[in-house]
Amino acid sequence: MRGKTILAAMAAPFLTPCAAVAHHSFAAFFDPSKIVTITGTVTQFAFTNPHGMIVLNVKATNGSVQEWRVETNAPVVLMRRGWSRDVLKAGETITVDGWPSRDGKPWLRLRSAKRADGSSIGVPFGQSDV
Amino acid sequence: MCSSLRAAAFGLIVAISTHVPTAAHAKAPKAAAALHPDLSGFWTSSRAKNPDPGLIAELPANTVVLDDTGIAEFPQGEFGGLKIKPDALAAAMKWKPQDETTISRACAAPSIVYAEQGPFPFEIYQTPELIVFKYEYFDMVRLIFMDGRPHPPESAPHSKTGHSVGHWEGDELVIDTTHLEPATITNNGLQHSANIHLVERYRLSADRKTLMATQWFEDPEVLDNNGARYIQWSARPGNYVFPYDCDPSFALNYQQAK
Repeated sequence: MRGKTILAAMAAPFLTPCAAVAHHSFAAFFDPSKIVTITGTVTQFAFTNPHGMIVLNVKATNGSVQEWRVETNAPVVLMRRGWSRDVLKAGETITVDGWPSRDGKPWLRLRSAKRADGSSIGVPFGQSDV
Repeated sequence: MCSSLRAAAFGLIVAISTHVPTAAHAKAPKAAAALHPDLSGFWTSSRAKNPDPGLIAELPANTVVLDDTGIAEFPQGEFGGLKIKPDALAAAMKWKPQDETTISRACAAPSIVYAEQGPFPFEIYQTPELIVFKYEYFDMVRLIFMDGRPHPPESAPHSKTGHSVGHWEGDELVIDTTHLEPATITNNGLQHSANIHLVERYRLSADRKTLMATQWFEDPEVLDNNGARYIQWSARPGNYVFPYDCDPSFALNYQQAK
C-alpha cells in the first residue's frame, strides 16, 4: 500500500471526547486538546472489552514504517455504533484519527475511522452519545 | 455475600440470562407496579441538563456533588471537591494512568461507586421482594433486597457490588449499600475503603422516560466530607445489555507499543 502519514496536532476545544469511562481514565491517559490522524495498513484487529485494538503499519514520507496502535472504546459501545468483530481485515488501508496518549507512545484513542474509499467505519465519537 | 445468598443470586441470574432480549423490558408483577413506580427496563446513560432539584435537596449536609458523571472524567490530580485525608491523597497523587494498563489491572472491575455512573447501560428487574440491577459494565449484577433484611455482619465478605437493601419512600427507591471491596472513586487513583457506605435514591420522571438518581457516599477513613453524584438514564425499550467478557490481553499491546 502507499500509505501516507498525516500527523496533525491541533488544539481542538470543540472536541469533547466521548470516549470516557474505561478501565483507565481517558482524561489522565490521553491529551484531549490534540487530534492525530494516521493512514496505514491494518495488521491486527482485536474486538474485546475493555478496549478494542487496531494495529497499523504507517509509512512516513521518508519511507520508514512505524507501528501504531489505536485503542477503541469498549466493543459493547462500538456495537451500537455500527462496528463488529469482522468490520476490519488485515491488509486493509484505513485512516483513523484520535486523541494521542500523553506518554508519547504511538498510541491513539479512536475518534473516527474511514476506509480507503472515504466511507466511515461506524459512527464517529464526538457526534452523539455513546 | 453469604453462600446461601450467592446461590440465590446465581439461580436468579441464570433465569434472567435465558430470557434477556424479551425480559429486559418485561413489566414487573402488577402488585408491585400498583404500589410503587415500576423501574424495570433497559436504561442508557443520558446527559442531565439540570439535576432534579428534589433529589439534590435530599442530599445530607457536608456533601460535594462530583461533576464527573456519564462521559466526563476527572484528569489526574482532580477530585472534584472531595476533602481527602492525607494518606489517601498521597496514594492518589502517586497513581499513574499507566498503572492500570497491565495484565493484572486491565480487567479489574471498579466497585459500583464508580461503575454505575458511566456511559454503559443497565437493566432493572423489579419484584416486591427483590430488585435486580444488571449492568453491562464488567457484567456486574446487584441484588437489592426489599424484604426488610439487615446487612450481614461487618466481617462478611466484601465485593465490588456490595450488599444492598432497599425500601420505598413515596415514589423514590432508596438503596443502602455496604460491604464494598476497596476500589476507585474517580478512576484516577483515589480509592475508597472497605467501609464506604453508599445511599442511592432513584426516581422516575413524570413521563416515565427518564430515570434520575443521586448516589451519595460517606467514607470517614478516606474523606473528611461526603461525596455524591447526580446520574440520569433514558429508557430504551426492547434493548438489552451486551456481554462484557473482559479480556486483559489488551494490556500486552500497550507494553509492546514503542
